[in-house]
Amino acid sequence: MNLSQQIVNGLVLGSGYACIALGWTILLGVARLVNFAHGQLYMLSAFVTWYAMTRAGAPYWAAIVIAIVVLSLLGALMQLAMTRLVIEQNLTSLMIVTLGLGYVIQGGGALIFGGNPQTLSSVLARTKVDAGALWFTWQDVLVLAMTFVLYAAVWLFVNRTRFGSVIRAVAEDPRLAQLFGINAKLVYLGVFVFECAAVALAAALVAPRAPILTSMGFNEVIMTFVVVVLGGIGSIGGALLAGLGLGMFIAFFGAFVAPAYTTAAAFGMLLLLLVVRPVGLATK
Amino acid sequence: MINILAVGFAAVLAASAPAFAQRAPIKVGTIFPLSGGAGPDGQSVTNGVKLALEQINEAGGLLGRKLVLISKDDESTPAVGVSRANELIAEKVDVAIEGWNSPVTLAMQPILARAGVLDITAVSKADLILAGQSNPLAIRINSSNGFDAAVIAKYVAETLKAKKVAFLTQNDAYGNGFQSTVEAEFKKLNFAGEVVLTEKFAFRDTDFRVQLTNIKAANPDAVIVTSASNSSGLPATIEQYRQADIKAPFVGAVGIMLPTVFKIAGDANNGVVSADIYFWNLPPFATIPENVSFVAAYKKAHGVEPDKSAALGAAALQVWARAVEATRSLDRKTVAEAIRGKSIKGTLFGDATFLPNGQLQPRYVVFKVVDGKNAKFEALQ
Amino acid sequence: MTDSLPHRPLSMLRAVVVAALIGVAFFLPQLFGGSSVAYSTLTTIALFAVMCYGVDVVLSYLGEVSLGHTVFWAIGGYVAALMSVHLGVNGWVTALATIGLSVAAATFLGLVTLRTREFVFSLVTYAAAVVTHEIAFNWDAVGGSDGTVGIPALKLPLGFFTYVGGTQEELWPIAFALLLLTLFFVARFRRSRLGTTALMVHMNPALATSLGVDQRRVRLAVFVISAPITALAGWLYAYQRAYVGPDMFEAYFLVMMLTAVVLVGRRILLGPLLGTAVLIIQQNLLSLGGDWNKVILGFVLAAVLIFWPAGLMGLVDHMRQRWLRKTRTNGRENKRSYMEEVQ
Repeated sequence: MNLSQQIVNGLVLGSGYACIALGWTILLGVARLVNFAHGQLYMLSAFVTWYAMTRAGAPYWAAIVIAIVVLSLLGALMQLAMTRLVIEQNLTSLMIVTLGLGYVIQGGGALIFGGNPQTLSSVLARTKVDAGALWFTWQDVLVLAMTFVLYAAVWLFVNRTRFGSVIRAVAEDPRLAQLFGINAKLVYLGVFVFECAAVALAAALVAPRAPILTSMGFNEVIMTFVVVVLGGIGSIGGALLAGLGLGMFIAFFGAFVAPAYTTAAAFGMLLLLLVVRPVGLATK
Repeated sequence: MINILAVGFAAVLAASAPAFAQRAPIKVGTIFPLSGGAGPDGQSVTNGVKLALEQINEAGGLLGRKLVLISKDDESTPAVGVSRANELIAEKVDVAIEGWNSPVTLAMQPILARAGVLDITAVSKADLILAGQSNPLAIRINSSNGFDAAVIAKYVAETLKAKKVAFLTQNDAYGNGFQSTVEAEFKKLNFAGEVVLTEKFAFRDTDFRVQLTNIKAANPDAVIVTSASNSSGLPATIEQYRQADIKAPFVGAVGIMLPTVFKIAGDANNGVVSADIYFWNLPPFATIPENVSFVAAYKKAHGVEPDKSAALGAAALQVWARAVEATRSLDRKTVAEAIRGKSIKGTLFGDATFLPNGQLQPRYVVFKVVDGKNAKFEALQ
Repeated sequence: MTDSLPHRPLSMLRAVVVAALIGVAFFLPQLFGGSSVAYSTLTTIALFAVMCYGVDVVLSYLGEVSLGHTVFWAIGGYVAALMSVHLGVNGWVTALATIGLSVAAATFLGLVTLRTREFVFSLVTYAAAVVTHEIAFNWDAVGGSDGTVGIPALKLPLGFFTYVGGTQEELWPIAFALLLLTLFFVARFRRSRLGTTALMVHMNPALATSLGVDQRRVRLAVFVISAPITALAGWLYAYQRAYVGPDMFEAYFLVMMLTAVVLVGRRILLGPLLGTAVLIIQQNLLSLGGDWNKVILGFVLAAVLIFWPAGLMGLVDHMRQRWLRKTRTNGRENKRSYMEEVQ
């Protein structure tokens, strides 16, 4: 009973990691762009959803839509500001710029929403499912289902439509792609807006599990970092597998070794992998 | 008797009011987190200090001089706290009341001590603060792990008579220190039961299903939970504890059930047993005149009753003011020695007795939550 | 021989000016009133600037963003704290141990990240920082989550007498000396073979390869020499604060390092120093509260790189060139009229 419950816990954790990692995977893996404001965008999405529900009285699903729209607009603004750096492929500057924008979002979020903890009270998060001796919530089921649906949809979009190869071509060489009549700026804009919309949806789905704070920032999503790198940068299926695998690893490492050291274990594993197989991750 | 004296004192001071206005004010500095995750807590403590300070000014000031407050934000970051401590030193404050996070306090202590500024720690719980290495004249108002652990151990061993005990412990100096002291207290009490399981977690964690699954399988009679993450981890723990349907009583470490926990976890808190050192409306505090007037003034100023954080801030200021009054001095050493190992009358904690190492001897109330949504509880024992 | 003769007075003049500036800089705390706050602020600026120079070397000459330099910063702090508290050794010993350990750590991390570039390099260095932080936080032997208190005053035996750095006033000369040493080292590095080769590897890797440069060796060497710079700053910080804890891994320091380097402009010798000064002065003297400070710091960081990628110096350069262009045309006219007048 203990073991099967830990498997359920692993699935719940893992689907959360994978869900939050989706936007970043596409951004980093397909478009070769970095965004160190990912954690702060997650925080902002959770608070926009919370604000829409508690202050504007919107139902849960409508609040999700509002969060996606708001974050997409913000993403478009950010990308427009960074366009020149993106076309120049100045990744070093981009990294620092997104780190700075993350700080702005965190400080601004605290100024707008205050420092008090809040809860995103989705009805589903409070409804428990008891299957024999096992338990989980309907929210967990929703996260798992949505994660599979989203990854499937994105995989189809990238691998089975023309757009996928267009994005890849742009990521390979934006200037060359432009010579072939592709509007690289528009492609980058689309990818970055997708990253922000995906993180908004993920936050609205995953954040009801725990209290939200404007200061939670990168720590809250620190595991997505491992997922994105472990998943083999660029592979959509890899990120899904890495997310679920990491969830299982955390559940079993926590259950049988030491739950307080899970972050260290996950990052240690990551380092080890990079020592053993650095080329696979470094190829551009 | 005390009241008559106080009235008389106030009358004398009122007569000397012109002098009061002319003399340079005494400066009180505070350093607490006012932004970020611990911001609301730090604001609460600062409000407590501010209100107690205004009450003293209304009653004629201190040594015939007015008190002014200089409040700083340490952003829960030790490096920032050090800068703020240096700023207070530059402003030549007569006392610094500080400390929500232990690492921030530990970083500021040597800076304040070297500059000869009297330093009173209001909240930070680390044992090292009173170890005397960085500040031989340290003073702390909040209770220490040592006392806290005795209360919890006694409740679990003698009231609950638990046979199998499990720990859910925050993995840092605070959590591990608390657990080892509880276990030492168990030995002292000749506790017949045993510790069947210890589960640890990190401060920033918000998902405890893995640990709770293990705890449920161990089937303990009581679970002792230590968590300082009152804004996020602790309310999440309590909610998931209920969802995991663990039947054993949830015994929280002393002082963890802060207002944010009630606000977030609501009715999931029902049945949680814990203890604390201040309640605005419970005995003995309900009948202490200084507390009654503080509660009334706080409610008027902020619309809510003061929580423990506000009370700790107010008590820090009152203890210092009474000691200054008694010694008629603002000197760091003189005032600190009048507090350490001595008893101070006339604070909202009643008679505040300090151990020689500067620790305030706390008075505990063990309680059980009966209505979590409205933060209502009943006192046990 | 004769060629260099005309230069001599100029370089002499330059040396005199630099020496004079150094002399004035040393007495800055007195010029600002001589209070202990003046001393502590300037000491902090000096040692944070040294911290930033480590990142500067990697960012400016390899073009890589190291998110792992907090590890070296913490190594310095922890070595100074643990060795002086538990072994009672003097400052020279802890400084040597700091250099040794940081070089060893950088060599290890450098070898691990040898084949990684750009964001992968940043991600790996970040992962290393996370793991080290977790170890420091959880390992009681190095102080655990509470850290180490009671670090004694910095003692530096100088043969016949021992310099003791206890107060901010006494620490200032040491911080100042460390800063000068760092500036001297970085200035030498810029002109050294390694410095110029590193820049070539960064700016034109194809050329470097065609000239037979072993890029990996150059990258490793630059990364390794950057570590002790940041680590020695952490070493002094431990003595200044008399307390060392896992907070030395916090993002606060990381963002400080990156911002200070890009703010004024990369590959400018005094850039990180000026950047640090601006940041510390904003935070200490013009603070608007924690949340606003974050917004300002983040905005400045992003805005500088988006609008003036070459930093504030780039902006100044740009303005100066525009101004020069304008005055040059004016100047020509002036000259002509002057000549006409003479004639």
